[in-house]
Amino acid sequence: MTPEYALELRGVRKTYRGFALKDVSFTVPRGHIGGLIGPNGSGKTTIIKLIMNLIRREAGEIRVFGLDNRKAEVEVKSRIGFVYDVPGFWDDQSLDSQRRALGAFYPRWSDETFYRLAREFALPLDKKYKALSHGAKTKFALAMALSHGADLLIMDEPTAGLDPVFRRELLKRLSALLQDEGKSILFSTHITSDLERVADVITFIRGGDIVFSLTRDELLDGWAVVRGEEQVIRELDPRLLKGMRHGAFGAEALVSDGGAARRVVGSRAVVDRVTLDEVMVLMAGENRHAA
Amino acid sequence: MLRNALRKDLLLNARHLWGILPWFVWVAYAMSEPDAGRITAVGAGFIGSLMATTIAAREDKLRTSATLASLPVRRRTLVQARYVVACVVGTATYLVVAAMAAVLPWSVQRAAELFEVKTLLLTLTLASMVIALLMPLVIRFGLLGVVVFLGAFQVLGVVLFVAADFFAARSGVRHVFGAVERGIVSLHAGLGQPGPIVETAVIVGISTWLSFRLSVFLAERRDL
Repeated sequence: MTPEYALELRGVRKTYRGFALKDVSFTVPRGHIGGLIGPNGSGKTTIIKLIMNLIRREAGEIRVFGLDNRKAEVEVKSRIGFVYDVPGFWDDQSLDSQRRALGAFYPRWSDETFYRLAREFALPLDKKYKALSHGAKTKFALAMALSHGADLLIMDEPTAGLDPVFRRELLKRLSALLQDEGKSILFSTHITSDLERVADVITFIRGGDIVFSLTRDELLDGWAVVRGEEQVIRELDPRLLKGMRHGAFGAEALVSDGGAARRVVGSRAVVDRVTLDEVMVLMAGENRHAA
Repeated sequence: MLRNALRKDLLLNARHLWGILPWFVWVAYAMSEPDAGRITAVGAGFIGSLMATTIAAREDKLRTSATLASLPVRRRTLVQARYVVACVVGTATYLVVAAMAAVLPWSVQRAAELFEVKTLLLTLTLASMVIALLMPLVIRFGLLGVVVFLGAFQVLGVVLFVAADFFAARSGVRHVFGAVERGIVSLHAGLGQPGPIVETAVIVGISTWLSFRLSVFLAERRDL
């Protein structure tokens, strides 16, 4: 039976001094793009490292296409294409020699795909890795990740350091991978507008806790921002209130049900559609009230 | 998979492995020295293994460890490849030096002596011991670990000599170093007979196995 999820995390725990990932659970369905957002130090990179088995989990379960990421490590990794925030390759080697050395590990590696992507990304294959700009390094990591027929792409801040033109092109390419080839993708980012464009499922993490994991429509159509006087906002059901901040002209609150909020506040406050940026700011803000 | 890991180590570290070349220049010069015979060839094997062992530590410096650990290969296999590469480079270095002794016109060394089985076995023994000692350090602490270890060894030597001078026991220290030298000479002589060969092979085998198990244990538990 084909597993329903490309990626499943259940009760995953990892503790560092001064930081803990607490019972993290979320899923990315097959053929979907999952976005991981959260403030700096919230645990996004730790989650990606745990999925890739770069660090050891203390509890919980991580399954990739139904396979345990530790027990079936080799098979799982042969189906994952990865791009890290700071790509680590051999500085003093040409891109082509790194292709030769690393491509051999993948049973479905395609030189043809790699060379095509290298041409499209304008990568100088005979140049040493250290001679590339940060953007070109990310493009090289992407070309490597996309050349072995991976079923799941895992990317940690892949768009950081890329110019807006290539960022847009990358997002288009990711969407195309999904539509044409049925791939699944998980990526973490600070650039929330990227996620609004392409993500199907959005998972928000803060201080090592998963605050929510919702579909884009559930979040952007269901949630809302209420702007008005604080006493009006206080009339809202506290269970709806997900975050709040105070400004010079009143307060802003993030609510998980825009319709319900509208019925309570009527014309005494403004209820707007929410953006991911606002979700980040209101949930990560110092004046948050509840989650 | 081991084949791919070996290929990766050789391809991506080739430039640094060529760093052994300057050593060959010195060895070529030493070939004209009557006293520099076998010890030069054995030392070359030792240096070759040492270099190949520490070259692997570059991966930490270049932050490529996470990339490697993300490939569809077990960390155990990557560690295995490091041992094999270090051993192969050590043996190859020895063989090149022995061949140089036979070929270079100014060489006063007798090539037949350098190609003796007992000399080759001594090289393998010393190379295996340096690999067994250093590899877990490289895997756990990276380049810094090796530098600190070798530096600490140097400092220990200096402290020993200063202490020996201070306590007028210099002959005692000389005796210790002399014992090491005599040990190597007697090991070399012993490796011509079946008994010591088996004993040495068992000791080297057990040390390498323990070192490998420790390296795998450390590599698998290392958070990257």
